[in-house]
Parts: sequence; structure tokens; C-alpha cells
Amino acid sequence: QATAVQDESAANVADESLPQEAQVEGSVSADATVKEKSPSFDYYGPDMVKGQPESGAFGFQSQHTDDGLFALRMHNALLLPIIVGISVLVLFLLMWVMFRYNRRANTVPSRTAHNTLIEVLWTVIPVLILVVIAVPSITLLARQYKSPPDDAITIKANGYQWYWGFEYVDNGGFEVISNMKDESQALADGEPPQLAADNRMVVPVGVPLRIQTFGADVIHSFGVPSLWFKLDAVPGRINERLLTINEPGIYYGQCMELCGARHAYMPIVIEARPLDEYNAWVRTQPGGMTVAEARAAEAAANAPATAEPAGEEIDAESSGIQEPESSVLDAPGAGEPPTQDTSPTT
Amino acid sequence: MATTADQFQAHAEEHHHDADHKPSFFARWFMSTNHKDIGTLYLIFAIIAGIVGGAISGAMRAELHYPGIQHLGMLVNFLGGDGSSFDQQGHMWNVLITAHGLIMVFFMVMPAMIGGFGNWFVPLMIGAPDMAFPRMNNVSFWLTVVGFCSLLFSMFVPGGTGMGAGTGWTVYAPLSTTGSVGPAVDFAIFALHLAGAGSILGATNFITTIFNMRAPGMTLHKMPLFVWSVLVTAFLLLLALPVLAAAITMLLTDRNFGTTFFDPAGGGDPVLYQHLFWFFGHPEVYIMILPGFGMISQIVATFSRKPVFGYLGMAYAMVAIGVVGFIVWAHHMYTVGLDVNTKMYFTAATMVIAVPTGIKIFSWIATMWGGSIEFKSPMVWALGFIFLFTVGGVTGVVLANGGIDDNLHDTYYVVAHFHYVLSMGAVFSIFAGFYYWFPKMSGRWHSEFLSHVHFWMFFIGVNVIFFPMHFLGLQGMARRYPDYTPAYQYWNEIASWGYVIMAASMVVFFVNIAYALVAGKRAPGNYWGEGATTLEWSLSSPPPFHQFETLPVIEEHHSHHNAIREAPRTA
Amino acid sequence: MAGAKNHDYHILAPDIWPVVGALSALTFTSGMVMFMHSDFFGDAWHVVLGLGVAGLIATFFGWFSKIVNEAQRGDHTPVVQLHMRYGMILFIASEVMFFVGWFWSWFDFSLFPSVISDVIGGIWPPESIEAVMDPLDLPLLNTMILLCSGTTVTWAHHSLVHGDRDGLKKGLWLTIGLGILFSAIQAYEYAHAPFDFGGNTYSSAFYMATGFHGFHVLVGTIFLIVCLRRAYAGHFTPRQHFGFEAAAWYWHFVDVVWLFLFIVVYVWGGWGAEVH
Ligand code: HEA
Ligand code: HEA
Ligand code: CUA
Ligand SMILES: [Cu+2]
Repeated sequence: QATAVQDESAANVADESLPQEAQVEGSVSADATVKEKSPSFDYYGPDMVKGQPESGAFGFQSQHTDDGLFALRMHNALLLPIIVGISVLVLFLLMWVMFRYNRRANTVPSRTAHNTLIEVLWTVIPVLILVVIAVPSITLLARQYKSPPDDAITIKANGYQWYWGFEYVDNGGFEVISNMKDESQALADGEPPQLAADNRMVVPVGVPLRIQTFGADVIHSFGVPSLWFKLDAVPGRINERLLTINEPGIYYGQCMELCGARHAYMPIVIEARPLDEYNAWVRTQPGGMTVAEARAAEAAANAPATAEPAGEEIDAESSGIQEPESSVLDAPGAGEPPTQDTSPTT
Repeated sequence: MATTADQFQAHAEEHHHDADHKPSFFARWFMSTNHKDIGTLYLIFAIIAGIVGGAISGAMRAELHYPGIQHLGMLVNFLGGDGSSFDQQGHMWNVLITAHGLIMVFFMVMPAMIGGFGNWFVPLMIGAPDMAFPRMNNVSFWLTVVGFCSLLFSMFVPGGTGMGAGTGWTVYAPLSTTGSVGPAVDFAIFALHLAGAGSILGATNFITTIFNMRAPGMTLHKMPLFVWSVLVTAFLLLLALPVLAAAITMLLTDRNFGTTFFDPAGGGDPVLYQHLFWFFGHPEVYIMILPGFGMISQIVATFSRKPVFGYLGMAYAMVAIGVVGFIVWAHHMYTVGLDVNTKMYFTAATMVIAVPTGIKIFSWIATMWGGSIEFKSPMVWALGFIFLFTVGGVTGVVLANGGIDDNLHDTYYVVAHFHYVLSMGAVFSIFAGFYYWFPKMSGRWHSEFLSHVHFWMFFIGVNVIFFPMHFLGLQGMARRYPDYTPAYQYWNEIASWGYVIMAASMVVFFVNIAYALVAGKRAPGNYWGEGATTLEWSLSSPPPFHQFETLPVIEEHHSHHNAIREAPRTA
Repeated sequence: MAGAKNHDYHILAPDIWPVVGALSALTFTSGMVMFMHSDFFGDAWHVVLGLGVAGLIATFFGWFSKIVNEAQRGDHTPVVQLHMRYGMILFIASEVMFFVGWFWSWFDFSLFPSVISDVIGGIWPPESIEAVMDPLDLPLLNTMILLCSGTTVTWAHHSLVHGDRDGLKKGLWLTIGLGILFSAIQAYEYAHAPFDFGGNTYSSAFYMATGFHGFHVLVGTIFLIVCLRRAYAGHFTPRQHFGFEAAAWYWHFVDVVWLFLFIVVYVWGGWGAEVH
């Protein structure tokens, strides 16, 4: 276990390419990765992977959040049987008329062009089926939109062309820059190519996470199939959604909104750890501290003012969802490569 | 429905002399004011666009056959870029999907269904000599052609990370504004302006024709369902396209003149673009299927030798689909950060559309019920349509659930959904209509045998391509990726083999057309027999250059309910 | 009966203008792209754009001349005139939807002013708009002018219906004059506006919405000028004058759009701001 997942695997694939600014960003972030190592941390090895695609599989990936389990059950136990049933019914009826009412079997066509009862039935029954679908569907939406509790830990996922930056807003504000590992590196580390990343988004397990997303240049989307989670990272607004992961493990995700040439090459790797291990990890990051420490530091800094539990901008958020709150212009990384001190070390 | 086939046959034969006087080649095909010739031009254009769009999808399937990048570099070199550049390869992929999506939607399906079959058969079916605005009809066609040219230009000029517009057919800002420097995206935007202008003019033309030029006695409620479908489609075009025009004009000024509609630094909002786009985009998907619904209704009735079951329900179901289609657009935007009430509303509203659509599916089956079904080529395509469209439709209902879509949005599940309704729904109806009317249009028979071969191979091919995409999507494979993790290889490889089967079937199709044009038997006026009751069957095949110089009269008591048996004799 | 046309529809001879028009449109849009990317294409846009515009003007001129000639020749039977009514109404409906797009963005920006953009600052009109136009100044005058022109065009119509050619011409002259006056004032207003084009959502949406309206005023004015010429040529009769009616409908449409712009953009959209 515990292969170190890190460093020099640069901006993954071929770097020569085009003279876009984006390209420059890519390489800078790559350089930024090569850095002094803080106290080392034992990352999970491939045996801890809980969320990844399987070859030849038919259905959803296994789910590791309560909402994901609810949604999975709704799909597998309700939606799938209904849509298969309807398709099979239509197929059966088609087969039947082909068999029973072909020209040889039925030489004289009937002239029936109306039957009020049956017309009412095939209007009303679908309505009822849809109502049956709508009830859990609305419930699911309501669950997904629960406001994060005050003690939720905020992590902001910034989408850049073409890599992710995970900003630990409540843990000292450092940003972990995550680039895809190239294929040979991934295979050497026993990870799936194109899903593995040099730096992971480490998060505490069982703790409500306030995931925020933000697009620094174009729209990206933070999507993790095994957590039933997808939220677009849009320039000019901060989206926010609650996420609570049930078990420790590694969950692979990818960018899910077309964002340009390397849209396919900006994976997300979430490593969920028990809270104490999370806190240990946080300390390995530049300026990283536990939430309690961060709050204490904040309180000290704002001594005269009333202490805000988790920084004022977060508080404004907890009432509503997705109040845009930070300026694109000075959002970290917007339009320019992330600076050294926000980049990761592992 | 509205009248019997043999009713006008006697006269049709006599029409030939003056009515058939055709202009010279150039005047006939470049200056046309004849709805049938313009329809033919549209169909030829659609077939060319279908070949281009289909070939592009072949390149895509070849690339997706294995993980990694195999062929994109070659294509980059073809467009004059640097094929060894990884970013240009990635950009090339985006150019391919953009071109594929736009070509199939705007230059294949719409021209085939509305421009081609609509132009040919709306006037014939309502007993009109031509369209209301014949000259405008022609400019609609040529605007579509020049729109296509503009899209082709875009492929050969820089578009940001490489040659061509790589924004996806949805052209989302800011990828399409600050994210794509260079002229390519501007050419693509103008392609939409040009084709859109053509479609708006066409819509005006169809609505006017249908409202104003129906033969005496043909009330709206006696109109063939294909005409109804084109009427509803034309309204959707008329009201949806101008909003797209406004949205892409905003893209243009954001790109070139410093406005900030979608630029957050100036207070703009990228999500506003998505609202405007999908306010057009969702009606657009029904624009692509409603004429298909209309054709399927005609075909099912013809080959069951029965009038359409629940005619009024069928007509008003299309009206309902059209109306509700305008208030469901944000189901394409479930993950952009809508608030929960908005998502609940759009979830509910979207699912409502399943009801009128279900009415149509069941009414087609009821039309066949008790019928005397003959499995001629149009009918097998129609039967294929009904089943495959249902499969595509029900996955739409899964996607309609905002909470479920959180996992499926922008995955191959969506790609599977929309190819079932488009590459099977819309395309099957196009082929059904084509085989139904080809002898009418050309005067020559295709081979029924080859048509059936085409059907079976195509049916198997597209299912092998697109059914596994559901599994890929459920497993989380994202759209718009040229490359994927090896776990997705299994189903992708199968899908790509399906493409080979489908492509082979298209060879059969082209052989069939070539055979028909060169050696096909002459087709009589009403070659489908007594089930074919609409007015086009009362004319010769092909119809005279100008038909209905004396307008047909539809008798008072005569309606779709008793189209065949109680056919009145009028003249 | 064979070959004889026994209906009132208008069957047209082949015509070159549609294909010329479409090619001109492509030339025009390509010229626009070349103009917008002159760094890439060089100066060739002068020629291409020029050709495109010339082709479009020629097309409109040639095409509409033909329609006028056909009308004079008597091809426009009552049913053909009815077609034209439908066509015009539907065209105007599509124009309405075009403006819906612009109003949509205006409402989005003004009801939810961006809090993250420094130039907006979460207020409307935005931070960076130091002053807006006083709606009760030139815009109100322009509203009056357009409303007035609506009555003059109706006067022209009534005169026409009552066979009063002189009244028709006077009404048209007045309407055209008012239209030109409106455009002139609008141009003056743009030239002296307290804010520039673009850079923030207010001026983007303001200029694009009012600009497209202004363009429609120009088109409407040209349409009316054509009608005036035709009035002098004695084209319209009290019973058949759809060309005139179409111009009048279009003019009223432009008028109504202005009323919405005036209320939504000038009055409500600038409410509470410093006026210029
Ligand atoms: C011909 C085109 C066409 C048609 C007809 C439809 C029809 C429908 N579509 Fe589809 N759709 C597309 C083309 C089409 N779609 C395209 C192109 C996209 C992707 C665009 C892009 O992002 O690029 C898309 C995407 C798309 C999405 C967004 C997915 C995402 O991006 O995350 C959604 C979500 O709600 C959706 C829903 C539906 C629904 C509910 C219908 C319904 O109209 C279907 C109704 C039909 C049936 C349900 C079957 C028959 C009914 C019965 C037999 C009755 C009984 C049934 C029940 C009770 C359920 N579609
Ligand atoms: C009508 C629309 C249509 C049609 C027919 C097709 C047909 C096909 N499509 Fe396409 N597709 C889209 C619309 C369509 N597609 C859209 C909108 C997208 C999204 C783009 C985006 O993301 O922006 C897409 C994306 C898309 C992708 C996903 C790309 C990605 O996300 O990375 C793939 C991948 O395999 C694909 C494959 C195919 C294949 C193999 C076919 C094959 O079925 C093709 C076979 C060819 C035909 C079936 C056409 C034959 C027709 C004729 C020759 C004309 C006949 C005319 C007359 C008889 C008059 N398509
Ligand atoms: Cu980032 Cu797609
Ligand atoms: Cu939709």
C-alpha cells in the first residue's frame, strides 16, 4: 500500500503543442509541482480504489454517498424497470400486430378509427406512471439541495484549461494543483491511465463537504460518477453543493464539460480519509491547518470584529446556494498561472 | 385520407402538355421557382450533407475504436495544421464533433425533412399548385447551401488551439468567445445565421401555404397528418430560430466588438447563453422529429390499409408537443447550478411531453391493429422507427429527472439517447419517407429487395453502435472525449464495429438509388394501392411540372374517417 | 382544361435573384469575418464586404422591383394578397422573437446585476455607468416622434382608402420625415451618450437592443420611401395597396418595440441613476 502519488509527472502529455496562454499555464503548473517536500504523507494505493469504471459493465458505478445510493435505487428499482417495460410493451404490441394483422392473416382491414376508452387509458396511465416517477425524483432533488451545515468543510474546485486546482478554503486557503499523470506513470503506479492525477483532492470521510466549483477560463465540470456528483465550474459564478462521502477510498472523476483541446485530460482524483488522517494531510500542505486552527487564526486576526465561524464569505453562502461571491478578476488562477505558494507539495 | 387516389387520375394523364414544359437546365436548377424541383435540390443537398456528416462520424468511430489518439494527427495535417501537436489533435476532435453535430442537424435532417419532403408533398397533399412564395422558397434553399459553405470555410482557418471551430454544436460561451481566437468560430456562427435565415423564410412559406392554399373543402381537420406536422414544425422554427439568431449575434459582438453579454468581467453571464441557446435548442429537437412523425402516420395508414387511428388526437398531440417544447429548455442545464425549484419545475415539465408522444406511439399501433399490413420497404422502416424512437424517448424520460441527470449529463448516455431519437428516429423516418415517395418523385421503382437489405443492415448497425453507449454513459464515460481510460474500450470497440455494418448498408442504399435511376421500372401514379389515399397519389409519377391547374375539390362529407370506402366521385 | 391555369395562385417564372441574394449573403458574412480578423486576412475585406453589400442591395432592389411589376401586372389576385398578409405577419412574429432575445439579456442583467464584476458592482445601472440618458429628454421626444409617425402613417392609409392621393403623399412625407428625424436624434444621442459601447452589460445590451431597433427604423423608412415613390407613380388603389399596408404594419411594429425599449431600457432600466 501507500505508493507515493506525486511530483514530477508533468503536465501529462505532449507539451510542445500550441503557443496558447493555456499551454503556458499547463507547463508552469507542472514546474510548480517540483518542489520541496513537506513531511511525507502515506497516500492510498490502488487497492483503495472504490470508484472507477469497469470494463464491459452495464450499469452505474457503485455509489458511495447516501444521495448516490438513493438515486441508484431510484434508477435501478423504478426508472429502469419502467423504461424497459414500456419498450418491451411497445415491441410486443408491434410484434403482435405484425403477426396477427398482416395481409395474409387479415385480408379485410377493419375501419375502426376511434375508441374513446382506450384513448383515455393511454393518456391517463402514462400520466400516473410519470407521477410515480416524479415523487422520488423531487425527493432526490430536495436531498441533493440540502444546505450545508455550519461545520461543513469548504473545498473549492477551480477548473483551469486544462487541470484542476483544489482550494482548501477552511484549512488555510492553500490550493492543490492536479495534473493528469501520463500513461506510463499511471500504469507504473497501478492506476488507470487518464484517470490518475499527480495530486489528489484529499477530503475527510463522513464529514459534510461544501464543494464549490469555479471556472477560471471557460466552463469545466466537476464530475465524479461514483459519488453521484456533477457540478459545472462556470466563470463568474461559484456553484456549491453538499457532498458527504461514506467510506474511505479513492474516487475517480473527470471534467464533464467541453473546455477545449485537452478536455479529456483533466481527471479528478478524490481521496477520502478519516478526519484525523485528513488533518494530518492538511498539515503537510503549505499554510495548511485544521479547521479549528484556521478559525482560531481568523478570530485572532479579526479580534475586534465578531468572529465568524468559517470566514465571512462562506457564511453568506450557507443561507442560499450559489451566491456568486468572488470576483473573476481576482479569483485565484484566473487568467494567469497559479502562484508558487498556492501550489501543492506532497 | 382526404380524398381518393383514383379520383383525379383521369385528368392527371392529360396534364402533361403545357404543364410539363420545363425550363432549360440552368434556369430549372439554379433559378427554380418550382416546389418539386426545389424539394429535389434539398434532398440531393441533404444526401451530400449526410455523406459528409456520416463520414465525419466514421472518422470519430475510428478514433474511438481504441483508447489513445490514433488518427487525429492525420486529419490535422489535412487541414493544414501541425499533426504532431497534441493540442491540435485534441482540438481536431472538437472540430469533428462540432461539424458532425451541426451538419447532421442543420444540413441533413432539416433540409431532408422540411426542405425536401415538406416542399415536395405539402403542396401536393393539400391540392395546391405550388408554395405560396415560390421565389422565397428558392432563396431558402440557397441560403442553406451557403450556410454549409460558411461552415466548411471555418474548418480551414484558425479557431484557437488549431484549425476549425471546436466549440461543440452548442457553441457555449466562453469557450466560443475568449476560448477560441481566430476566424473559425465566426464563420461557424455565420453559417448558423445563413441557414437560420433560410429556415425562417421557409417556415413563413409553409405556414402561409398551409393556411391559405388548401384545396376547396379541405379544412384543417381534414389535412393529412404530414401537413399538420410540417405546420407545427414551421411554427417552432419561426419562433425559436430568431432567439438563436440573437444569441449567436451576442457571441459575435462579444468576440469582436467588446460587448460583455457572456463575459463575467463585464457583468455578463455564460449561463445566459445556455438559456438562450436551449430556448431554441429544445424546440429544435422537435423540429427534427415532428415531420418524421407526420411521415410515419401516412406510411402506417397506407400499409395497414386503414385510416389513422385517433386522427384529431394525433394532430393535437403534435401541437401539444410543440407548445410544451417551449417551456422545458433548462433540462439541458441541470448541472450549471440552477436552484432547486427551477430544477423541480423543469423535471416535471419535461416529463409531461412523454404523454402526447405516447398518444402518438399507441395510435400508430392502434392504426395497425385490425389492419391488413403489407411489409413494403417504407413500412419496415416505419416499424423500426416506432420501436427505436420509443427506446430513445424513454431514456429521455430518465434524463428528465434533474437528480438522475446529475450523473448522466454530458456522458454517453445522453449521446445514446439522442442518437436513438435522431440517428434512428429522424433518420429512419427519412428513409421511410424516401422509399415511400421515391418512385413518386422520380417515376421509377427502387428495388424492394435492396431496400429491405438496407433496412436490416442499417437496423443492426445503428443498434450495435448506439446501444452500448448507454452502458458507457452509465459507467461515467464523458462526451466529447477523443480518448478514454481502457475500461471503456470494450463497448467502444463494439460500437465502432457497428459503424462498419451501418456503412455497408449505406452502400446498398446508394446502389439501390443508382439502380432505380438507371434501370428502375416505371412507377404508376398510385403504386401503393388502395391504402394510399392522399392527394399526391392522384397524380402521375412523377407529377406534372405544374400540378392541380384545376384545383381538386374535397367533398363536404368526406373525411379521414372514411377515406377509402366512401370515396366520393368529384371532378 | 389541359395545361390551362384555372386558379388564382401566382405561378412564377424562374428567377436569378434568389441565388444571387444567397451568394451575396455569403460574400457579405465572409467579408464581415475578414473585416473582424484583418490581422489574419489582410485588407481584402474591403473588396469582399463591398461586393457582398452591393450584391445584397442589388438583390433587394431587383427582387422587389419584380414584385412591384408583378403587382402592377395584376398577378396579385386577392388570394395572393392574402398570402402576403400572412407572410408579413409571420415575418413580424419572427422579428418579435428576435427582440425577445435582446430583452431577455437586458432583464437578466438588470434584475440580477453581477456582484462579482467590478464594473457592475451589484447595482443597476452598473457602477461604471456614471450617468444614463435622461429618459424624459431626447428619448421621450423620440417616443413622441414615433407615436406621431404612427398617426401620420395611419392618416396616409385612411387617405389612400378614401381615394385621397394627396393626403396619402402628405402622410407618407410626414412619416418619412419623422422617421429620419428619429434616426438623426438617435445618432445624436449615441454620439453624446455618457457611456461607450461595450465593456459592461449595460452598454452592451443598451446599444445592441436600441441599435437593432434603429436598424429596423432605417429599414422601415426605406420601405416607406419606396411606398412614397410608388404613390407618386400611381401604384396604389383604394382597394389594392398591400405594399403600403406592409410598410405600415412594419412601422407600427418598430413603434411598439420602441415603446418597450423606452419603458424597459430607458425609464425602468435607468431608474435611480444620475441622468445626463
Ligand atoms: C429528435 C430529437 C429528440 C427528441 C424527440 C427528444 C426527446 C426527448 N428528450 Fe432529448 N435530446 C436530444 C434530442 C431529442 N430528444 C438531443 C440532440 C439532446 C442532446 C443535446 C446536446 O446536449 O448536445 C437531448 C438531450 C436531452 C436531455 C438533456 C440530457 C443532458 O444533457 O444531460 C434531456 C433531459 O431531460 C432530454 C429529454 C428528452 C425527453 C423527455 C424527450 C421526450 O420528448 C421523449 C418522449 C417519448 C417517449 C417517452 C417514448 C414514447 C412514449 C410512450 C411509449 C408513452 C409511455 C411513456 C412513459 C410513461 C414514460 N433530452
Ligand atoms: C441528426 C443528427 C445526427 C445523426 C444522424 C448522427 C449520426 C451518427 N453519429 Fe452523431 N451526433 C449528433 C447528431 C447526429 N449524429 C450530435 C448533435 C452530436 C453532438 C455533437 C456535440 O457534442 O457537439 C453527435 C455526437 C456524436 C458522437 C459523440 C462525440 C463525442 O461526444 O465525442 C458520436 C460518437 O460516436 C457520434 C456518432 C455518430 C454515428 C456513428 C452516426 C451514424 O449513425 C452516422 C450514419 C449516417 C447516417 C445515418 C446518415 C445517413 C443519411 C444520409 C446519407 C442522408 C439521407 C437523406 C435522404 C435519404 C434524403 N455522434
Ligand atoms: Cu475541463 Cu472539460
Ligand atoms: Cu431538450
